[in-house]
This record gives sequence, structure tokens and C-alpha cells, in this order.
Amino acid sequence: MAAARGSRRGRLRYVAERRGFLAALLISPAVLFIAALVGIPFGLAIYLAFTNAGAGSLTGKWVGLANFRRILHDPIFRGSLWHTAEMTLISQAIVIVCAGLIAHALVHKFRGRWFLRFLILLPWAAPISLTVIGFLWFYDPQASIWNWFLIKLHIVDPFNKPNWLGTPRAAMASIITVQAWRTIPFATVIFLAGISSIPQEVDDASAIDGATGIKKFWYVSLPLQLPIALVAILFGIIFTATDMVVPYILTNGGPFNSTQMITTYSFATGINAGNIGEGAAISLFLLPVLAIVAIGMLVFARRAEVT
Amino acid sequence: MALRRNVFTYGVAIPFAIVLAFPFVWMFITSLKPEAQVYDPTKTWRFHPTLTSYGYLFHHTDYVRWLENSFFVGLLVVLITLVVALPAGYALARLAGGVGRSLGVGIFLTYLVPPTLLFLPLSRVVAQYLHLSDRLWSLIVVYPSFTIPFAIWLLMGFFKTIPQELEDAALVDGCSRIGSLLRVVFPISIPGILTVVIFTFSLVINEFVYAITFISSASNRTLPVGVPTDLIRGDLFNWPGIMGAILIPSIPLALIYNAFLNRFIAGFTGGAFR
Amino acid sequence: MSGDEKTLSRRDLLKQGAAGAAALGAAGAGAPFAFAGPMKFKNKQLKGDLSIIQWVHFVPAYDDWFDNTWCKQWGEKNDVQVKVEHINNTLLDTRAAAEVAAQQGHDLFMNLHPMAAYEDQVINHASIVKEIESKVGKYSQLGKLSTYNPKTKKYFAVSDNYVPDPVIWRRDLWNGIGEAPYTWDHVRKAAPKLKGIGHPIGIGQSQELDSNMALLAFMMCFGSFVQNEHNAPILNTKKTVNAVKFMADIYNRGETADIFGWNPASNNNFLYSGQASMILNAISATRTPEDQHLPFADDLAIWPIPIGPHGRFGLEHVMGCYNIWKFAQNKDAASQFVVDLCVNYKDATNASKLYNFPSFPGAYPFKQIRKTAAADTHKPRGKYTVLTTIAEKFTHNIGFPGTYNAAMDEVFTKYLIPAMFAQVSQGKLSAADSVKATNSQVKDIYRKWKAAGKI
Repeated sequence: MAAARGSRRGRLRYVAERRGFLAALLISPAVLFIAALVGIPFGLAIYLAFTNAGAGSLTGKWVGLANFRRILHDPIFRGSLWHTAEMTLISQAIVIVCAGLIAHALVHKFRGRWFLRFLILLPWAAPISLTVIGFLWFYDPQASIWNWFLIKLHIVDPFNKPNWLGTPRAAMASIITVQAWRTIPFATVIFLAGISSIPQEVDDASAIDGATGIKKFWYVSLPLQLPIALVAILFGIIFTATDMVVPYILTNGGPFNSTQMITTYSFATGINAGNIGEGAAISLFLLPVLAIVAIGMLVFARRAEVT
Repeated sequence: MALRRNVFTYGVAIPFAIVLAFPFVWMFITSLKPEAQVYDPTKTWRFHPTLTSYGYLFHHTDYVRWLENSFFVGLLVVLITLVVALPAGYALARLAGGVGRSLGVGIFLTYLVPPTLLFLPLSRVVAQYLHLSDRLWSLIVVYPSFTIPFAIWLLMGFFKTIPQELEDAALVDGCSRIGSLLRVVFPISIPGILTVVIFTFSLVINEFVYAITFISSASNRTLPVGVPTDLIRGDLFNWPGIMGAILIPSIPLALIYNAFLNRFIAGFTGGAFR
Repeated sequence: MSGDEKTLSRRDLLKQGAAGAAALGAAGAGAPFAFAGPMKFKNKQLKGDLSIIQWVHFVPAYDDWFDNTWCKQWGEKNDVQVKVEHINNTLLDTRAAAEVAAQQGHDLFMNLHPMAAYEDQVINHASIVKEIESKVGKYSQLGKLSTYNPKTKKYFAVSDNYVPDPVIWRRDLWNGIGEAPYTWDHVRKAAPKLKGIGHPIGIGQSQELDSNMALLAFMMCFGSFVQNEHNAPILNTKKTVNAVKFMADIYNRGETADIFGWNPASNNNFLYSGQASMILNAISATRTPEDQHLPFADDLAIWPIPIGPHGRFGLEHVMGCYNIWKFAQNKDAASQFVVDLCVNYKDATNASKLYNFPSFPGAYPFKQIRKTAAADTHKPRGKYTVLTTIAEKFTHNIGFPGTYNAAMDEVFTKYLIPAMFAQVSQGKLSAADSVKATNSQVKDIYRKWKAAGKI
């Protein structure tokens, strides 16, 4: 139709009508942005992992796989792989269960919903780099209010107070708790959206078929929410695994490296100890693992998509 | 039926609300304590409340400046993110087909590179190529690199819930594709846009590594950087001050997010088209 | 300065620009290098610019003096606009890395430990050291061994100050059980009694600065060292194993599990809560109780580190070091600044309430410091005079008997020593195994830096 017009304006409009071109046009700013600000530094970081660059310098002598070989021999690094996985998987499992429950509770209107929702959103609204300092206080070996409660409830002996940041198991538990705490509101919001997107007809149909409560949840709601839920979980995993602030501030990898994560160890090696090449190599280990997780989940999500 | 639902609702919502919000309650109580009594075990709950720490925040530190800086950066980053992500989200949802799907996956890959690594090469980019050292604009330029991918994903989801018929109707009526975009699609996606605003703003206000790297002067600091710097002197933590500093932005933000939440959910339900 | 029309009008423009930028307020979007305060001299045009970054001193009075008196007067005298940025000390390493990566940053960079790993990025500070020495006398051994690389013959930093690290103990509690921390044996004997009365000892074994310092010094008292005088690693010795066992013993008898999860503030807070009977820390731990009028402020005694089998060896708590990047814009002004600061360090020490001791002792001889300390009115009077003894006789550099170098720095920043102790104290490993494991990590690090030609 527009092609029939011979004028220049017409040709331009024709071009703008073509899907491919328009798509490319609309996507290009985003792609350019990301390529420049993520792609280039990322490429540089990969290069650095193969050099012996040190102390902030962005160039170094090529050393091939030496950095990778050295860190694989490093018990602290091997530990950090395991700790990162532990922290991410356990905290996100908690998030899924809790967020799922909360989202279902908040779906329908009830008295006090606005206020309760406000309280639930707080951990996510507050800047994490600050709230984690607040948790330092919460877990303080001297004045932990959490210990105060435990002592008052006679669960814990006042002369043998748990040291939430000083013993390996407790420190890991503390980090997991904070990661879960701050992610639950985020996941809840996304789950809420997923639940709300189920068309009313489905609700009605399942009611007619007699499916209620848990049956309805398992056979009807869950499959419909899965795509959105999966992506929320995916983001939760990625944001947690790549997070440095929480473990760094709470324990700085301690006690004796029992909560050292890939991110904190990469930072300690690359920045504090001045060994950039090695720090880059450590950091790169996150990439293939997360990529596999991401692609796996997305493929699963697409298969589970119900239109 | 209603009783069962109510039991479930209140039985879940109330305990979780208490658990999630309690740390803030404790922060509030601590912020009212005089600094010398913070460690006194006899004064855990019974003490003389005082507003000294808030006074210190506002009069002896650059706290207000940091708040302003954070909000300034946040708003501009939200703007940039919307301008770039809206068209991209639409394109990927509607126009790009198979390529769009793969690109959609690619979006997640940008998050796999943590800033613990990227900040070094980026500091060279910011200093030498962009000449933005120690300026808030360095953050405004860099932050969209991690807000845009997420925003695109969110908007893709939204645009997919808008029935194709709406746009086709507009096209039949003589609108160009871009025209239908502007006049039909975008207005409906207001809830989606609001959602992007919330999520983007929260990503910005959480960011720490780039903020500490690119910004030098005290007056240009954002909130996450200013607090550890001025309220932690060497080995002395000003706990009441820190707690107050956390609470002041968090409560309004949570209120705003809460207010937007309904519209966000409405967006996912397809608005008036159920 | 004056005379050149073009230059003057450009300066006028700059001034207007600066005023305009200030008017923009919080945005900070206009000023290329937003100044931390108003222009110091409205009437005088200043020729150069000097940018400095340093930590937020725990003594606010010092920063006050530094920013508003010292820099102001120095700038006036030398026709330079001085701009100082203060950040939290834990963030200094990050900022250093970023500045080097960007090849752009502050002219003068201060850190609380000499940044040996950045040797290639900084100028050779030998001329600065020489000039200071010509004016006030020799660089202290402590300073030289911390900032000089004998392999490359380069001064990779200049230390203006160090902070002696005494032991701070509750005289009332210890006297109550009839003890005093004279030797580490005394400490071990007193430990269970003190814990028994509810006042355990607090020597950290965490991944943080205070633990690092305390344990490294403790090791030295037992004759255990990370490296020898030739900067070769010698950690795995019987003496190290003994030291680790001894500390585990002290922990099991007289400390609580708190000590494994500390940050640099924790041992202070342990003391301020009234619980701790002894900690190793700089005098920040006595000044705060004085300022806050805590009930036991007068019962806090300051002593040198207890004697071990090998003797009495202490470390500096932190060491202030300035370095000048190769890419700094105003190296001349930076050098001159450091020279003048070190020469006039008497004022700095007094401003810091005797926290900072000069690395060039000629600037403020120990005798004079002692006199000032004796005048301190806090009870018991004269308690701060022991700092001079500690500084003079019992303070060594990290890496003693060798020099501070990049490998030692890495061992330090990776907290290998606290981990070595903590594993044993918590019963996870035997002392021999822990020392062996740590030793292999240390050797690995030293091998790497030796290959890089730095040791």
C-alpha cells in the first residue's frame, strides 16, 4: 500500500513499516549501551584473567592458564565455589517457598492488606548496602537483639551465646538469612503478578470442575504461574550469586574463609592483594555456571509456557 | 470457605510481616538511643530516647546531600532506562520473532558479570574516555547498563499481555506502526512503566561498588557511600546514626512501592481487558 | 601570577564557573572536580591544585586540624589550592585500584598500610625522604623498613606517621585477681580467672586488621616470623607451632567464641561494654571511654605488649603512608606537601592527641612527646607516657626482620595468619597441620612475587 507511493516520504514510511528494520531501530540503543558499558569492560576482564596484571593496572604479561591453574590449587578458592553455591541455592529455596506463600496470601483484598504489604516490602525498599550494616548490629557478638530474644526464651544459655558471625555454620546461616530476607519481597511482587495474570475464566473453570485448594494450586495455578515464577527465581539466583556486599560486610569471608564467596575472594585477591589477573580469573568462574543455569531455566520456562 | 481463606491469609501474612519488618523496628529503637548506652545490656529496651543521632545526621554530615544525589541519579537513570528499554522491549515482544527470543535470553547474560570485576575497566572508561571522574553523571551513564536489561525483560512481559488485536485495530484505522505504538500501546502500559520505575530505582539506590569507585568528593557521594564513610570512623561505628540513616529513605520508598504495587499487578492482569 | 591579561580572564571565568557550579547545588553536575568546601582565599589567586585522599581519622580533631589549619596555611604559603577527600579506610584499597585502572586520580594518596603491590605505579620517593632527613634527621628504621624495597632500591611510599600498639587492660579487674599482663605466661595464667569473673580477654582471631596485628606481634614474641631478613618465607617452624598452641590455650581458658567474628571495631566495643579485661589496640580504645565518661575509664591501663619467650616485640597498629602516582598531575606540590608535613609533624601528633607518632622522629623527639603525654590530665596521670617507650623500643614493621613487601602485603590482606590461629583454636586442625597448610599458601605467594621481580 505504501509501496505504491513514489514520494520520498512514502518510501521512508514503508521502511519504517517493515518489522525487521523497525525492530532493529528500536533495539539498537539498548544493544549499543550494553555493548559499550558491559561488553567492552567484560572483554577486558577476560583478557586480564590471562595476564599477570597487578595492582590496578589494566595490562600485564600474558601468562596463559597460569592464573586458572593456581586458583584451582587454592583451597580457599575451591571453598569459595562451594560456599557460593550453598549460599545461593539455600537462600533462594527459602525465597521461593516464602514468597509463594506470601503472594497467595496477599492476592485477595482483606483488611490490613495495605499495611502488611508495606511491612513486607521494607527489606527490598531499603538500600542493601546500608541494611547489611544494620545486620552487623543485629548480629553483634555483644548486643545482638536476636540473642536477647533467644536468651529470654531460654533457648540459649547466656554464657554460651551463639556468635552469629564468628562460627562457620552460624556465619553462613546469617548470610543466607540476609540474602533471603532482602529477596523475599522482590520475589513476592513478581509472584503476585504471575498469580494475578491467571485469567478469571481459568478460576471459574476449575471451580466448576471441582478443583479447589491444594489440588487447584498444583494442577492449575502452579503451571500457569511457572513462566513468571521461573524468571523471578532466575533473577534471584543471579543477584544473589553475583552479590558481594552482603558477605563482604557481614563476615569478609571469615571466620577463616568459611564464608568466602567467589565475589569476595575475587575482590580480596584482585583489589586488596593487588593481583588483578588472578582476581579476574576467579570472577570468571561465575560466568559459565550462571549461564548454564540461566539457559536451562529459560528453556524450561518456554516449554512450560501456557498461552 | 471464606474462613479457611482468612486463616490462611492472616496466618501467613502477619508472621511474615513481623519477621521481615522486625529488623527495622530494632533499627528505629537503636536510632533513638544515646551513643554511650548502645552497648549497655541493662538498657536494651528501657532507656531515655533522644533525637541526637538524627540531629547529627542532618547537621554534622552531608546526609541531605547524599539523599539528594541518590535521588537525582535515580530519577535520571529511570528516565534513560525508560527511553531505551521501552522501544527495545516492544521490539523484542512483537517484532523480532525468533531472534527476539534469543536476544531475550541474552539479556540475562549481562547480569552474569559482577561489578566486582567490571568496575576496574569501567573506571578507565569513565576517566579517560568519558572524562566524567567524580561527577554524578558518571553514575548516570553507567547505571543503565544494569537497569536496562531487567527493564527490557519486564516490559517484554507486559507487551506480551497486550492483545495483538488492539494494535491491529489501530493499524486498520490508518495509524502507522509507530503511531499505534505511541497512541495505543504505550498508554496501556503505564502500569508496566511504573513497575520499571520501581525496579530501576531500587537497583540504583542499592548500588555501591561503582559509586565508591567513580565518585571522590564528599559532596558528590550517594547514600550507600556516604554512610559508611562519615558514620564509621576507623573502628568506631555510630550505630544510632547509621540506623537513622537507613530508616529515613527506606520508609518513604516502601510507601511509594506499596502505592504503585496495585497498578503493577493490574498491568499484568491486562487491565480492562479481562 | 598577575600581569598576563589572558590568564587573569581565564581565572575569572573559572571563578565564575565555580560559583555557578556551587549554585547548581546538589546536582554537582557542573563542577568537574567539586571542591569539598568554599574557595579558601577570595582575594588571592592560587596557581596550582593539589588533591589528596586519606582516611577518616578516628580522632575528629585531627581531620579538623588537617583540613582547616594545616592545608589552609600550607596552601597559602605555597600558592596551591589544596583539596582533601576523606573516605573510610576500608575503602582506600578499592579506590587505589580504581585510580590506577583509570590512570587518573589524586596527586597524593594516603593509606594505612604501605601499598607495596603498587610499586610500579608510583614515583620513587627517595628525594622526598632525603629532603626530610636533611631537615629533621633520619627516617626511623620502622619507616624505612616499611616503605623501601631493597631489591629494586625504591622508596614506594613515605610514611608520615605510625601508631603504636599497646595492650589495654582493666587494672581493677586484674589487680582484683592479683595479676598483671607482664608476660604472656602471666596472661595465660590469669585468663581462666578473668573469664571466671565474667571478664574474658579479647584478642581477635578474625579476618580483620586488629586480629592481624595482634597475632603477628604475638608470634614475634615467640620467635616466629613470616619472613626472615632476606624476605624469604620461614613460617613453618617449631616456634610458630608453639605460638599457635599457646594462643589456642589462652582462647580455651579465657576467651569466648566472640573473637572469631570481629571487625576492627569489635574489640573496642568489647572493651566499652565493660566486659573485656584486656585487648590489643591503639589508644582509640582509651580515648573513647574518656570522651563518653564510661565508669571504668580511669581503670584502663596502657602497657607494652607482654613478653614472650623470644622477648617483647610489637607492631605498629597502622602506619600512615603517602604515595604519589606516576600519573599524578601535580607531583611537585605533592612532594613539597609531604616534606613540609613530616618536618612539622609535632603539630600533627598533638592534634591527633598522641595517636599519630612521627615516622621521622626528629620532628618531635620522644622526650618532648613524653612531656606532652605527662601533661595529659586523664587518670592515672602520666599513663600515656608509656607510649613513647613502646614507640621507641617495642615497635617494629610488619615483615620484621625483613622489609615490608608485596608478598607480605598479600599475606596480610588475605588474613592468612588469623585463619591459621583460628582453625586451631576452634579445634578444626592441629597446630602443626594448620601451620603447614598456611606455610604452603605463604610460600606460593612469595614464589609469585619473586617471579615478578619484586622480592
